[in-house]
Amino acid sequence: MHYDLIITGMGLSGLMAAKTAVEAKQKVLIVGKGMGSLCLFSNTIDVLGLLPETMKVRDGLSQWIKDHPEHPYGKVGLEKTEEALSSFNSFFPPPYAFQSKNETNSLIPTGAGTLRPTYLIPSTMMKGIIFKEKKTLIIGFKGYKDFYAYRLADLFKCRGVTLSLPEGPQAEISATAIARWMEQPTFREFIGTEVKKQIKDEVSVGFPAVLGVNDPMGVRKDLEKRTGASIFEIPVLPPSIPGIRIFNQFKARLLRKGVTFLLGYSVSKVVLRKKRCETIEVFHPPITNSYSADRYILATGRFMGGGLKADWERIYEPLFDLPVHQSPTRQEWFQKAFFNAQPHPIHQSGILTDLSFRPIDEKGEVILENVWVAGTMLAHHNFIDEKSREGIEISTGYTAAKKALGS
Amino acid sequence: MKLQTEVLIIGGGATGVGIARDLSLRGIPSVLIEKGDFASGASGRNHGLLHSGARYAISDPEASRECIAENKILRKIAPQCIEETGGLFISLPEDGLDFQKQFLKSCETIRIQANPLSRDEALELEPELNPDLLGAVQVPDGAIDPFKVVLGNVRDAEGHGAKFLTHTEVNSLLIDKNKIKEVRAKDLIHDEEYFINPSYIVNATGAWANQFLKLAGLHISMALSKGSMLITNQRINQRVTNRCRPPSDGDIIVPNHTVSILGTTSIRSEGVENFEVTFLEVSLLINETSKMIPVLRESRFIRAYAGIRPLFQPEEKGDDRAISRGFMLIDHEKRDGIQNLITITGGKLVTYRLMAEKTSDLVCQKMGTSLPCTTHLKPLPTTLRPSGLKDRLKKFSQSFSGKGEEILCDCELVGREEVEESLKQEKTKVLQDILHRTRLAKGTCQGGFCVYRLLGVLHDLKIAEGDSNKILKDFLEERWRGIRPILWGASLKEEELIESIYKGIFNL
Repeated sequence: MHYDLIITGMGLSGLMAAKTAVEAKQKVLIVGKGMGSLCLFSNTIDVLGLLPETMKVRDGLSQWIKDHPEHPYGKVGLEKTEEALSSFNSFFPPPYAFQSKNETNSLIPTGAGTLRPTYLIPSTMMKGIIFKEKKTLIIGFKGYKDFYAYRLADLFKCRGVTLSLPEGPQAEISATAIARWMEQPTFREFIGTEVKKQIKDEVSVGFPAVLGVNDPMGVRKDLEKRTGASIFEIPVLPPSIPGIRIFNQFKARLLRKGVTFLLGYSVSKVVLRKKRCETIEVFHPPITNSYSADRYILATGRFMGGGLKADWERIYEPLFDLPVHQSPTRQEWFQKAFFNAQPHPIHQSGILTDLSFRPIDEKGEVILENVWVAGTMLAHHNFIDEKSREGIEISTGYTAAKKALGS
Repeated sequence: MKLQTEVLIIGGGATGVGIARDLSLRGIPSVLIEKGDFASGASGRNHGLLHSGARYAISDPEASRECIAENKILRKIAPQCIEETGGLFISLPEDGLDFQKQFLKSCETIRIQANPLSRDEALELEPELNPDLLGAVQVPDGAIDPFKVVLGNVRDAEGHGAKFLTHTEVNSLLIDKNKIKEVRAKDLIHDEEYFINPSYIVNATGAWANQFLKLAGLHISMALSKGSMLITNQRINQRVTNRCRPPSDGDIIVPNHTVSILGTTSIRSEGVENFEVTFLEVSLLINETSKMIPVLRESRFIRAYAGIRPLFQPEEKGDDRAISRGFMLIDHEKRDGIQNLITITGGKLVTYRLMAEKTSDLVCQKMGTSLPCTTHLKPLPTTLRPSGLKDRLKKFSQSFSGKGEEILCDCELVGREEVEESLKQEKTKVLQDILHRTRLAKGTCQGGFCVYRLLGVLHDLKIAEGDSNKILKDFLEERWRGIRPILWGASLKEEELIESIYKGIFNL
């Protein structure tokens, strides 16, 4: 089967690339073994969380781009980053939309009892921004071992309650199970009644981010009606239900637009000829299928996604064997302290590209003419310390697709 | 607080708690002070080997004799702490078979049961062995759980009247003429001060012996040798696998519970608290041990750690492996004129009981009594420390039939009830105490998830209050020391996940 564009990697950057290409009337195939880091981390959209809280993110980003020309944002530029973010937002119309407060980063409460800065916040978390100014009750669930209401209450100096749920099949309850139950009116009736009983003088109630997968705003509205309190979600340990919502929304809309999804498989081999990629092979046990395209985008993530691999001597890119920017020896990959003022040097490693996101070698020569690279596998960023994961994924996925299509 | 006791023991390693048990069974009261948790020195930082003594049969026959005798006693009195794996000494082509001949002869002299095996017989027993091996010798090595041994001793001693103060450090000594009259110590967690007036003092601080003796203006000649080890994610071998050649770096792989432990290096150390495992040591250990079991080159490791061996030495430099692994018992009355002070140090984990017996004999002798030792006859009581994988799996399956509990640690299947039970029964003062007494944080993710959950449970139970994120950060920093040297392959993926959670989602 022949396509205009084949994207390898189904994380946020691959999905953004698919969106951008399909909206430009391209025939798109996206191949991926999973949802990338969306299902783990992406509760909100980080762009550059390290900026001072009072600074407009646009201003901070503009300066950042000037100071860091090699950074993915430096290559994307301010204008395209903003275009990419609004393209992302177009998939999330209200009621479940992503917004900033005053175009700056805002602090939201987390499941560890800390506050974290982030930029675009889903509607279910918006009321968490100001929770400290209000009397708040934190709700946990017995058997859901990744969220501890009493600990949060101690840290946030408010009150917490752990609810016992109506009989489940087993002692342990997962985030995905609660999220599914939340979509049943009888379950919400139970939760609503129990929470209402617990409320004393609190005006807001914080839940772990498990208020439904498909219609979180509907769940929230119903619970607000039943409890009379304002309700917000708090990001927790993986899996990330809000991240799964993003994936599901992309998948549904892209399928409708005609993108072909190959979910659950990874590319087993690429066939190269001179400086071009000709076909990719995907192993569907027991057979192998070949797919070809005019252009390819590689967005397979970092070590967790499998886009980068490391043995005890070096870091490599397993699919195209692209050169990986890295420190000379393993000893320099990490700082001596885990919590360190300077990021671990390994995060700077990754795929080197030109300004159009085509992979290059150390001399700056383009290695493959019809391959573009997007996402966190790119070199020269510190996505964890900068708090820039989703911003990099969205902006490079968008831009790599634009460049691949020649615009 | 003022405390009176007959014997004050300093140091809560295997030797110290062994002495407390021995004395308590003879009816002699004692108090033991430990500045950290039990077994936080060499007793908890070794490869968990129940020595047969074969390793020293040629180089150190005396230590070897002690090892095999104690090996047999421990199998009888503490079977719950031991896995009878057996051991192999394998000869590779580069080693030749000359050493094996000498080895077999020495084992025979010392009466360590040693059966030669052909290449094929050895491979049948251990399929992952290097197929080029020339042959092997089977010896009665085994695996031992040091912490279980230590806690068993503590429990028994407590039952017989001994007292234990952990996280309590000796600050100063009051010496009057030729006796230590008073020992001043401080509880490092609760700020309590102790003024202890013992009749006798036993310095069982192992590598820290000179730090204590300094308070009395004394010094003994001792070498500190750092040994580093690596833990695999899976159990690679079923029998302790040794290299049949003179003792050297990376010559042993000990199977232990669900993992295998690669050991060791021997590096002269200046500091007592230098536990850093270098990248060079990691490469050396993998390069050497993979000659015995090649699959180790591709294995996933979950942690690197080091311990400091206290070795007795005549004051000359040289290879630390040439120094005896035997122990040294010093009566400071004879040596320095301090009537009521004894130092015990050196030795092996497997000879801890013998060291305790000899020390207690000396205490009795100084007291003018001759109460007999019974620790070689009386079984060690079992402790709460969780049983083998089989029992944990059984419990785990119950949690899915609806009656069970939440599993806090998915790697090692540690349930919430088990942790709560342990919190009720054991005296724990800090997070690491709890981790020592359960299998939390021992598995593949090294506490990446379960310690966060444990803190949640501690708040639920009102054991922890206020800002416990400092404890979480300290734990992650401690965890980092163990994993930083082995981050590649799957461990590196895990690190990206954990860093993304704690610095990312949680912004710690």
